[in-house]
Amino acid sequence: MSVNNKEKGSQQEFSVSRRGFLKTGVAAAAMGVMGAIAAPSKIASAASPALTYQPAKGQWSKLRPEANYGGASVHYVENNDQWLGTTKLVGKIIQTDEKDAGFSLALAGKLGDKAKAGFLSTVFRHPTVLPFADAIGAISAPSMLTGEPNPNKLQIPDPEQMSQHIKDFAYYLNMDEVGIGNMPDYAYYGSNMAPPLGAYLVHAVPMDTPYGKAPITDKLPYVICMSASMHLETWLASTGYDGISNAQSERCYHASANAAVIMANYIRQLGYHARAHHFGNYELLIPPVLIACGMGELTRTGDTAAHPRIGFRHKSSAVTTDLPLVPDKPIDFGMQDFCRVCKKCADNCPAQAITYDDDPLPHNGYLRWNTDSNKCAAFRCSNDEGVNCGRCVKVCPWNSKEDSWFHRAGLYIGSKGENASRMLKSIDDMFGYGTEEVTKYKWWLEWPDLYKYDVNATLKAFSATASAVPPGV
Amino acid sequence: MSIFLIFLAGILFLAGILFIKPRAKQDKTWKTVIIWTLYVIFFVIACMGVSFVYINASVGHVKATSTAIFLFGGISLILAVVLARVLGFIGTKKKDESLQA
Repeated sequence: MSVNNKEKGSQQEFSVSRRGFLKTGVAAAAMGVMGAIAAPSKIASAASPALTYQPAKGQWSKLRPEANYGGASVHYVENNDQWLGTTKLVGKIIQTDEKDAGFSLALAGKLGDKAKAGFLSTVFRHPTVLPFADAIGAISAPSMLTGEPNPNKLQIPDPEQMSQHIKDFAYYLNMDEVGIGNMPDYAYYGSNMAPPLGAYLVHAVPMDTPYGKAPITDKLPYVICMSASMHLETWLASTGYDGISNAQSERCYHASANAAVIMANYIRQLGYHARAHHFGNYELLIPPVLIACGMGELTRTGDTAAHPRIGFRHKSSAVTTDLPLVPDKPIDFGMQDFCRVCKKCADNCPAQAITYDDDPLPHNGYLRWNTDSNKCAAFRCSNDEGVNCGRCVKVCPWNSKEDSWFHRAGLYIGSKGENASRMLKSIDDMFGYGTEEVTKYKWWLEWPDLYKYDVNATLKAFSATASAVPPGV
Repeated sequence: MSIFLIFLAGILFLAGILFIKPRAKQDKTWKTVIIWTLYVIFFVIACMGVSFVYINASVGHVKATSTAIFLFGGISLILAVVLARVLGFIGTKKKDESLQA
């Protein structure tokens, strides 16, 4: 073949016929159209204006179309007169008074002088505590929590889409998880302390202020629960009961309190009643509310509710409201089975307050593990090797993990009954998760001298003056 | 990094197939199936191990990292030796020599 023929041949090889070109063009256009149609609605509808900007029906929310349970196998259950989620109700639940909570008893001196002095001096024993306490105190007054709604109700979408919008608003406020539930009446306190316990905890009132009982009157049908998860790396580096332990909680209390105050105010601006409940001023108990909102199950540690993805490594706030919403269903991800066989928290509890019982026992009309909350509160107040304690939060296999494929697989295994849970616990122990201290994340400073306090001097100082007197001097 | 590792895993998987293909065909079909099954299991466990060790080491889980090196590395090594023996990469030369003698 001559050179010219070769060139001619190669030109023919690379040529595209008009018919072929058109076919390719049509195919590409069809693929583009199909792609646009099949693209997630969140992209397609993002540019829509005002009330036509709606999440799709059946989604968790617009920002998170599906609930994120971190790989756990989750089933939906019901709330009725026999069950609150997976918690069995065995009789009438008597509403508790805030004055009977663990820290209230410590404040009242019923857990011993050391616990009382420890409670009073908590905010002075690590310099990270008071800044959070002050910030929470600033948003704990009733005027921050509740108020009259806007008399001109704004137009809002139907309850399902409004629920999705409320969840998105919570995510917008940087909350890690949110849920909506029907507010169980027994989850309200029977009465509040006046001033509330949180006011003492955050030093919003002088520590020697006498407290009375205030009835809870502001009851609303729905509750929105929001959780801020504690900093994982900090827990990985912490013993669980050192100087940063209290700040771990306080940071999340503060974040969730801010979110609750803003959420409640936003709902009032829409023209509906709303009351924020947070660490500085609760009128309700958070664990049953978390369960009612489909955000967890009760755990061995007593009255704490674990979420499938973040365990109970979080602090939560709530907003009660009459805004028309669609409640989420309570969830079952096998936590009861897991807690039955794991007992890692009981093994590691410095106060030995967590029970080794195999099964939950009747307690005030419901079944829960018989963990000694007073013992827990006494230790947390009087711990002088650090400030407070969160050892159970640190070691629980559901809490102590970064997001990775094998931890998601682990959560799936752990949510599949007792035998699978036993296997997961063994694997967890074999790899040393939870109990290790990853020192490369130890970013905070410690002042061990501050942890120690003189019980008598502290009690004397606080009985004589207001809150700003440091203890042990 | 993870994208690069996934790409690398894919390349290695294909390279492994090309490498053992000439020796994988056996006189019985079930033997061939076993070889390919062993290869896939070996490769999956080795990749899981690398990923597990990489993630745990980067987070700082010391015990998990060292345990995983022994666990996944050990299983991978055993499977690799078995596979190499079955494919004739190891343990056959000596036999041939003894036959010649």
